[in-house]
Amino acid sequence: MFHKSNVKGSKLSNQAPTCLLSEMPQGEAFRIVEIRGGPGLQRRLLALGFHRGDLLVLDGEAPIRGPLLVRNLTTDTRVALGRGIANKIIVEPVRNNE
Amino acid sequence: MNDNKPVIVFVGQPNCGKSTLFNAIAGFKAQTSNFPGTTVTHAHSEVLWQGKVYTIVDLPGTYSLTPHEPQEKVVLTHVFQEKPDLIVNVVDASLLCRSLELTVELLELEYPMIVVLNMMDLAEKKGMSIEAEELEKKLGVPVIKSIAVRGLGTTELMNSVEKVLNEKIKPQALKFSPEVEKRIKKLQDLLPEDFPVVANKRFTAIKAIEAEALAVDKFFLENNPEFKTQLDQIRQEISALREFPAYEVIAAERHHLALKIFEECCRVRHARVRAAEKFDNLIMHPVFGLFFLVLIFAGMFYLIFKVGSPLEAWLLKPWEAIKLAIENRFGQSLLAELLSGLVQGIGGGVAIVFPYFIPLLLLMGLLEDSGYLARAAFLLDTFMHYIGLHGKSVPLFILGFGCNVPAIMATRILESRRDRLITVLLIPFIPCAARTTIILALVAFLLGPWWAVGFYFFNLLVIAVLSSILSRIFKFSSPGLILEIPSLKWPAFKNIMKKTYFNLAEFVRFAWPILIGGSVLLSLLSFMKFDRLMNDLLSPFVSGLLGLPQSLGVTLVFGFLRKELSLLMMFQALGVNYANLLSVLNQEQLLIFVVFVNFFIPCLSTLAIIWKEMGRKVALLSVLLNLSVAVVVSLLIRLAALIF
Ligand SMILES: Nc1nc2c(ncn2[C@@H]2O[C@H](COP(=O)(O)OP(=O)(O)OP(=O)(O)O)[C@@H](O)[C@H]2O)c(=O)[nH]1
Ligand SMILES: [Mg+2]
Repeated sequence: MFHKSNVKGSKLSNQAPTCLLSEMPQGEAFRIVEIRGGPGLQRRLLALGFHRGDLLVLDGEAPIRGPLLVRNLTTDTRVALGRGIANKIIVEPVRNNE
Repeated sequence: MNDNKPVIVFVGQPNCGKSTLFNAIAGFKAQTSNFPGTTVTHAHSEVLWQGKVYTIVDLPGTYSLTPHEPQEKVVLTHVFQEKPDLIVNVVDASLLCRSLELTVELLELEYPMIVVLNMMDLAEKKGMSIEAEELEKKLGVPVIKSIAVRGLGTTELMNSVEKVLNEKIKPQALKFSPEVEKRIKKLQDLLPEDFPVVANKRFTAIKAIEAEALAVDKFFLENNPEFKTQLDQIRQEISALREFPAYEVIAAERHHLALKIFEECCRVRHARVRAAEKFDNLIMHPVFGLFFLVLIFAGMFYLIFKVGSPLEAWLLKPWEAIKLAIENRFGQSLLAELLSGLVQGIGGGVAIVFPYFIPLLLLMGLLEDSGYLARAAFLLDTFMHYIGLHGKSVPLFILGFGCNVPAIMATRILESRRDRLITVLLIPFIPCAARTTIILALVAFLLGPWWAVGFYFFNLLVIAVLSSILSRIFKFSSPGLILEIPSLKWPAFKNIMKKTYFNLAEFVRFAWPILIGGSVLLSLLSFMKFDRLMNDLLSPFVSGLLGLPQSLGVTLVFGFLRKELSLLMMFQALGVNYANLLSVLNQEQLLIFVVFVNFFIPCLSTLAIIWKEMGRKVALLSVLLNLSVAVVVSLLIRLAALIF
């Protein structure tokens, strides 16, 4: 399920179509490619169990462009993320053969 | 090391049930709720187990040993400086995979340790079957299953504690991949003689690599430029291994270890979508969720009023009778005055405060334990952005409806000092249980329920306006919402009863004596005609500015001690009983009185906690802010009354 080679995000991101977490359609699994933003944000998300390579699903959104409800399938946790933060997480769709 | 009273600390990620487990062992002492970040400070208790005394310490939850929030730092102080004899790592078994990352990090300390798999009931519901023996083998520490809300697993835990301490079993840290481990070893050997070692050298080296600004860093690195170069060099080497920052490499290593252990020790049967999950999606739905939110809060206050007001009317009667009897028996003597003050204080507590206070506590308990607070934060985040805050403040405001004091303590969960400051300044405007009593007892009971609804609405409006103003003064961009949403849980009836009892006991112990003492004091003052003097002094303000009867001056001042005190003393001061209140006050005056008492100053305990948490300046600012808002709003009401 987890290959280290996939983690080398920057290389992979050139091939696969990536998008921002905030642009993810609901209910489909995506993989974290990169977390932008300062080390402060990265560390916080790491501590919450959001690592490169983890699978995410968008569970819902709050009204009026509110925060996103994101489920981490790899660690099975749910976190509410504000839009600003969701815009800093780059994801890619999970291909079917995985 | 403390030989006669071993110190056992509970460490774990937020909301895994540490405090519930602590309470199950030590008796109800720590607040619990289904919201990550309930405990913000430590709680100690001495426990006697099989003839031996242990000190157990409940700590705030922390996601990792690199803290981000003020309350997480408490954990580090306890773990590093006070060197516990044993760490009990409490784990939410239903979130085993993620939680194991902290477990792996704790093992790096190589302190004696026990892992408790709590919430086994939820894990089973999720279709997880965890093999404790296998996990024990992998981690090298005892693993115990528990369901803290039902008190299951505490005996096994304490037996294991005894065993581990007796046999002085220490675990071994789990190894990372060889290429990373090699660099850690290298740094470990480079650590200068006088480097402050925490726990052990490997752990110290890892933390030096990971930390962005280790406290040691600043002082130490400045004096050891050579070591600093070496550290940077190793960080770069590690970073080069995976092409991302060194701290992330280390975190990924732990993540891999956790995933591997999880996959080897836990099987997940394909869980069916539970009814709870569907319900959860419904209450977090963008449209329906908001509707539900309004319904819940409106329903809550409606229920409190519906239960409270008949109860109040019914409970008031005997006390009125007693008061009358005292007056008949003793006439106008000092004794009579004091006795009726006493009766007023005791009766007020029983008849006016309890009928509203107890239902409010019960419903708050329900709200907290179900996990709704985090959902409210999620739903209201956008609206909070309009007033310059974000969703994480919502649960704090909701807590404030119970009592402002714990709400202000809980602001420690806010990462940014600026958000914290604004939230602390706003919480005193939330009508707590005491003020809800006043609003329901005066406004709803005498003027009608719709007036009370309007009052709450107006109150929220005041907070929104203030927040917008404050957030313009204290400019700073907030980092945005990051909040774990805990699973919905069935509130355990026993737990809510215990919580309510705990809070009620607190009221009886601290607040009620103030109510009684205040009432008696007022009787004494009025007997000596001293209250007249104070009223005369305050008259320009009370009657001139606010347009209230002069005799309410003292009453308002005493509201600083406890807000309910103003309510009780009001009848005393005006010399009327409850039912006849509107014969001496008109509608406008009643409203102004309620507004003023509600806003004019944070009560004594609230002010004390603001002082303690945020310092003297903020406390002073809070007083000024409240006072000015109270005056402005009161004047607005006078103005409105003039116009209409
Ligand atoms: N179903 C279930 N619920 C539990 C169990 N243990 C605790 N809870 C509930 O989980 C919630 C969180 O418990 P707390 O004891 O407050 O958690 P904590 O670890 O102290 O949380 P923080 O102080 O925020 O770090 C509460 O609502 C408890 O009633 C359990 O074994 N099973
Ligand atoms: Mg706790």
